[in-house]
Amino acid sequence: MKLEDFIKQHRDSFEEEGPGPGLWARLEKELPVRQKTSVVRMMAKHWWKAAILIALIANAGLLVKYANTKQDVAVVIPEMEEMELYYTSKIEQKLDELKAIPADQLGLDSTTRAELELRNETYLLLEKELTENPGNERIRSAMVRYYQMKLDLLDKILSEQEKHTSSPSTKKDVL
Amino acid sequence: MERTPVTDQIVVRCRKGDVRAFHELYEAYSKAMYNICLRMTGHASDAEDVLQEAFIQVFKNLDKLTSDSSLTAWIKRIVVNHCLSYLRKKKVYFEEVGESDTAEETAVDETHYAMTVSAVKDAIGQLPDGYRTVLNLYIFEEYSHREIAGMLGISESTAKTQFMRAKEKVRQLVKLKTT
Repeated sequence: MKLEDFIKQHRDSFEEEGPGPGLWARLEKELPVRQKTSVVRMMAKHWWKAAILIALIANAGLLVKYANTKQDVAVVIPEMEEMELYYTSKIEQKLDELKAIPADQLGLDSTTRAELELRNETYLLLEKELTENPGNERIRSAMVRYYQMKLDLLDKILSEQEKHTSSPSTKKDVL
Repeated sequence: MERTPVTDQIVVRCRKGDVRAFHELYEAYSKAMYNICLRMTGHASDAEDVLQEAFIQVFKNLDKLTSDSSLTAWIKRIVVNHCLSYLRKKKVYFEEVGESDTAEETAVDETHYAMTVSAVKDAIGQLPDGYRTVLNLYIFEEYSHREIAGMLGISESTAKTQFMRAKEKVRQLVKLKTT
């Protein structure tokens, strides 16, 4: 009988037991478990998205505080209507661009998205203040700052998004 | 274990970093892959070390496994490659043989005495590393002479000749033991 035929016929008898239990224990320590690493990687890649939310909330607080301060500040404010029209149309345009990006690609959570909306809580609060005190310059300048800040953030998000979509690192895991 | 919806699921879960999925994959393959390492290295402790390194590579590279390739063949190849690099570190060389040496291929290929599993196992264990490797890759791991030649960086005819010599050596050793 040929050696290879003999071995193939008795193949099972040639098999030994598996490795000792210690091997899995050693391997377990080296598993590429992504939970931790992927969060770190996500944070490294999307840190600016977290920064947005912090900036939005912090600025909202500052604006409301600023609007309510008794101190007089000399701020040159254009005509309210004109200013509103200018900013709102720009902001709406940017928001439309942002909404054209698929949600999973954008990766912004619902809280951040709600904050980015033009008429968010801060806006409504300022608007209320402004209606109650129509001539109050501090509130008007707070409104301007609110618009500027929003526009800046939207610009930043859109330019970052462009960077990420053009980089190959955003490639998804495909089977 | 071939690609089935179940193994595909395990792979998908591993890619997501599911520890239990890694363990299931390990359980499914560790015995067979350990046996490869044991045959190739000839030492239980070295076999475990090589298998550990191989499994780490398997776990880290599951993303690179394409949907149409065999999971078993892919894992086996990684394990075999680790065994071969272990042997290279041990300075086992797979050398070309001259044309004149290939005549041995026509040697008698039949045994007229009883072979036993333990005698054959012992005989393979006594082979020099180079012979043992070629013999294992061909008979146990079922690679072709061409594939083996590619893995070892030798010509196909050398792979074939080395295999014939290894087989002849086993035959002699078994004969010594059983007669």
